[in-house]
Amino acid sequence: MKFEMKAVLLVLFVAAFMFLGTYFTMIVPLTDKALYTPTKDARDYTALELQGKEIYQREGCWYCHTQQVRNLLEETQRYGMGEEETYKRFGVRALIQAPPTEPGECVYDKPHMLGTRRVGPDLARVGGKYDNSWHINHLRDPRSTSPGSLMPAYTWLFDKAGQPTQEAVALVAYLQKLGTNIRWREEGVEQVKRLNALPSPAPKGGQQ
Amino acid sequence: METVHEDKSARGFIYVSIVFFLITILIGLTMAIKFIFPDFLGGMGPLSFGRIRPIHTNGVLFGWLLAANMGLAYYVVPRLAGRKLFSEKLGLTTLALWVVIILGAVVTLAAGDTQAKEYLELNSWLDGLVTIAWVLFGINMFATIAKRKYEQMYVSLWYLMGTIIWTAVLWIVGNLPVYSGVNDANVNWWFGHNAVGLIFTPMGLSMAYYFIPKSTGNPLYSHKLSIIGFWTIAFLYIWNGAHHILFGPIPTWLQTVAILFSVSLLIPVWTVITNFYGTLRGKWAQGNYIVKFLLAGTTFYLLTCFQGPMHSLRSVNQIVSKTDWIIGHAHMALFGAFSFFAMAGIYYALPRILKRPMYSDKLGEWHFWLSFIGFLGFAISLWIGGFVQGLQWMDYTIAFLDTVKAMFPYYVVRMFSGLLIVLAQFLFAFNVLKTARSTTTPVSPVTA
Repeated sequence: MKFEMKAVLLVLFVAAFMFLGTYFTMIVPLTDKALYTPTKDARDYTALELQGKEIYQREGCWYCHTQQVRNLLEETQRYGMGEEETYKRFGVRALIQAPPTEPGECVYDKPHMLGTRRVGPDLARVGGKYDNSWHINHLRDPRSTSPGSLMPAYTWLFDKAGQPTQEAVALVAYLQKLGTNIRWREEGVEQVKRLNALPSPAPKGGQQ
Repeated sequence: METVHEDKSARGFIYVSIVFFLITILIGLTMAIKFIFPDFLGGMGPLSFGRIRPIHTNGVLFGWLLAANMGLAYYVVPRLAGRKLFSEKLGLTTLALWVVIILGAVVTLAAGDTQAKEYLELNSWLDGLVTIAWVLFGINMFATIAKRKYEQMYVSLWYLMGTIIWTAVLWIVGNLPVYSGVNDANVNWWFGHNAVGLIFTPMGLSMAYYFIPKSTGNPLYSHKLSIIGFWTIAFLYIWNGAHHILFGPIPTWLQTVAILFSVSLLIPVWTVITNFYGTLRGKWAQGNYIVKFLLAGTTFYLLTCFQGPMHSLRSVNQIVSKTDWIIGHAHMALFGAFSFFAMAGIYYALPRILKRPMYSDKLGEWHFWLSFIGFLGFAISLWIGGFVQGLQWMDYTIAFLDTVKAMFPYYVVRMFSGLLIVLAQFLFAFNVLKTARSTTTPVSPVTA
């Protein structure tokens, strides 16, 4: 039986190494309070929004849309509000960056929807960006609202008359919830207004 | 007295894996077409992109690659142990269960019944069946190894035993329905990264370690290197999951740990590669298609495992993450490297199982070259396109839709390359079918 020790030892060491890495990279984060404490404005999904999330999962939306604004300037800018948008909606002409996704925003996501691939844009901050009818039209015929889009037309979320089914309504309710666990749109506008109200600094002489 | 191998389980798994391979790459091709004609097969939920994508990924991973490797393991392990497989009956039961699992997966995924986590999509019923099938496979393997004739355990057996344990732990822990939010993502990538790193990598290397010396007739280049390679993989791989969520909502220390360990993966990879190239020495030029598959697979393994650590560097990740580049990278690992190893294994093992040569060596050559060229077209178009895409995303003044439209030519090249790959696999299947149904008197195979 001497040589069987080798097989047993191999199995034991393989298991021990696996546990070591798993402990530090998986179990330690599981005990990290910051990863499961909701943000100040976070609230759980309503029944309708939750149904929408289930449809989002069923249709595999998450294969082509991530839900994470990464902590990079180009992403906070791209998924923020452009000057035209802020002017149209809030009367303020400013680029308002989207905050990067925080762990506390995701605590009610089970499963998570961070995603990995962007065939379409990130949706982490899409809530409030468009009105409901835009979303309905986009689901019914993506290329009518977004020329060049590769998204399928979700005809099975509409009845024979072309009216959205209850499922489509739920999905839109979910989309409108995304990214609102931080009140960034309103707060961003408030901040810009406060900055605009400050007296402009006297121009300094010489070089800056 | 020579041991007589029945090889029923090996043969069954190989046939079944090839059938699922054809189905799932056709789904892959369908997806590639949808990138050019988004309304192709439109209007039907079960055929929409979001429903068939998991059928393609799970299908090629578990229906083709894992099943093919299991089939080859049923062939390799008894030979390395010098005794018959512990139980062919158990093996065939496992096969029947595997078929039920894959067919069940196709139906449930098309219906939208999914756990909605990458590579963990199968519902909990199927998860349970996979667990049972894997335990049955593990029992058969360990029992055969335990009663082996030779004291020495060849490196293929270490990798196989490791794979059985790694897969069991990853599958069960990864599927527990207890995580939420960011931790759920972290566990998802702990699983997802190691599904490649600790299931398909060691299983593929196990087979390559067997078939490279066998098909070239060269002895293994270095026993010492194989020890270093195995234990560094066992130690280093498991720490890497978080590199899939760099710049994301996970702690910075976790990201940095993942980057450090990702870069250190160059050690096991280059160790293994040195060993493979060393064993292949002198056979590069005169190699038949079996050697070509092994050589190309080794090279793609080197390249994909150079990309991986580089992707984990923050400056590179910023550009390529979430782009089409990654699709090319993933296909290099799973198609270019590990599927090539499995194909070589099938071409080597099948004639010995059936005791007659392959129906056509010429078709085998065609299979190799079409797969090779098809893959290069597929991957290079996505790498160039994905890199451009990543750079465009870095400038927020470029509208997202314009970055989508810019990918069009690359998607066209990808689709035609995919068509070549599909064509090649049909030649492969045809060759195997003709060999299986051939009525020539069994002879000892000449191909080596």
